[in-house]
Amino acid sequence: MKRIYFIVLAALVIIYMIVSIRKNKLSVTNSFFWILFCICMLVLSIFPKSLDWLAKLVGITYPPALFLTIAAVILFILNFIHSKKIEVLNKKVTDLAQELSVVKEKVNEKK
Amino acid sequence: MGKNADVDKVLIVIPAYNEADNIEKVINEIKKDINYADILVINDCSKDNTEEIVRKNGVKCINNIFNMRYAWAVQTGIKYAYQNGYDYVIQMDADGQHIASEAEKLYKEIKKTNADIVIGSRYLVDTGYPCPLFRRIGTKLFEIIIRLFTHKKIADPLSGFQCLNRDVIEYYSKVGNYPEFPDANLIMEMLFKGYKITETPVKMRLRETGESMHGGFIKPIKYMIKQFYECVVLVVKYFGKRRIKR
Repeated sequence: MKRIYFIVLAALVIIYMIVSIRKNKLSVTNSFFWILFCICMLVLSIFPKSLDWLAKLVGITYPPALFLTIAAVILFILNFIHSKKIEVLNKKVTDLAQELSVVKEKVNEKK
Repeated sequence: MGKNADVDKVLIVIPAYNEADNIEKVINEIKKDINYADILVINDCSKDNTEEIVRKNGVKCINNIFNMRYAWAVQTGIKYAYQNGYDYVIQMDADGQHIASEAEKLYKEIKKTNADIVIGSRYLVDTGYPCPLFRRIGTKLFEIIIRLFTHKKIADPLSGFQCLNRDVIEYYSKVGNYPEFPDANLIMEMLFKGYKITETPVKMRLRETGESMHGGFIKPIKYMIKQFYECVVLVVKYFGKRRIKR
């Protein structure tokens, strides 16, 4: 029962992502990580034993710890990417605002 | 206006935030003591009538469309200078700390030494400036850091009273990562990049009214930590790079 619950949840999240992309609310590039995350969730829900196998492969005795580690790493990378993007956007906004202020003064001077 | 006998175009850039009490005095001093320079006030979204006072005195005023804080307000002025073909920019504070007659010293020094940046220094010789102890310690610390990594003694790396030549105006107006606090870190970066920086002793006053952007207890500490961190990052960034001006 739990398995079905997780499969449905993962499928719903994937559908939501696809709908967001179709409505241009999420760009294809930005959606990549989320879609990857959802697919991983779906695969793990369908084949729960795969987590045990993976954990054994990397030498982790408690399989859910592997899941949480992967999730933390993905979220860390996403956060880092977003920090960089915010920085770029900040610079662009400042540039635009400065340019606008200068142009406004030039227009004022010509009046 | 804006031109001296050698036909240099000089612009005095004054970022101002809520400086209605001080700005008129600053403008009048500049008009009296360095009358060949154009004045540009960057009104950084002041809540008081700074703009009104500036315009009443017949001075150009750029209104930032949102509060950008000191550094980016200065950069707005530098961009204006670049776009309007100014040869030199003198950065001055609106709180009356920087004295107009001393600004001329900076301009004369930049002409004489052919430097890219001339810093108005409070500590090169004893000018009797009553500097708070915490700030004095910070200044000394950054002086040591800069000397250690660039082999250049800058006695007052935290001074915002500077004169910039056209090369620096162009660089600052185009640079994407103009820092939040353009003090020791920016001087260090410019030295790493091979720009020539000199200092000249100037007198300064303490602000008479209003609140400093480095006021309080937490802000100066935050400022020092940020400055220190940026200096460390710069050392790593420019490690092993040759110092050739662009």
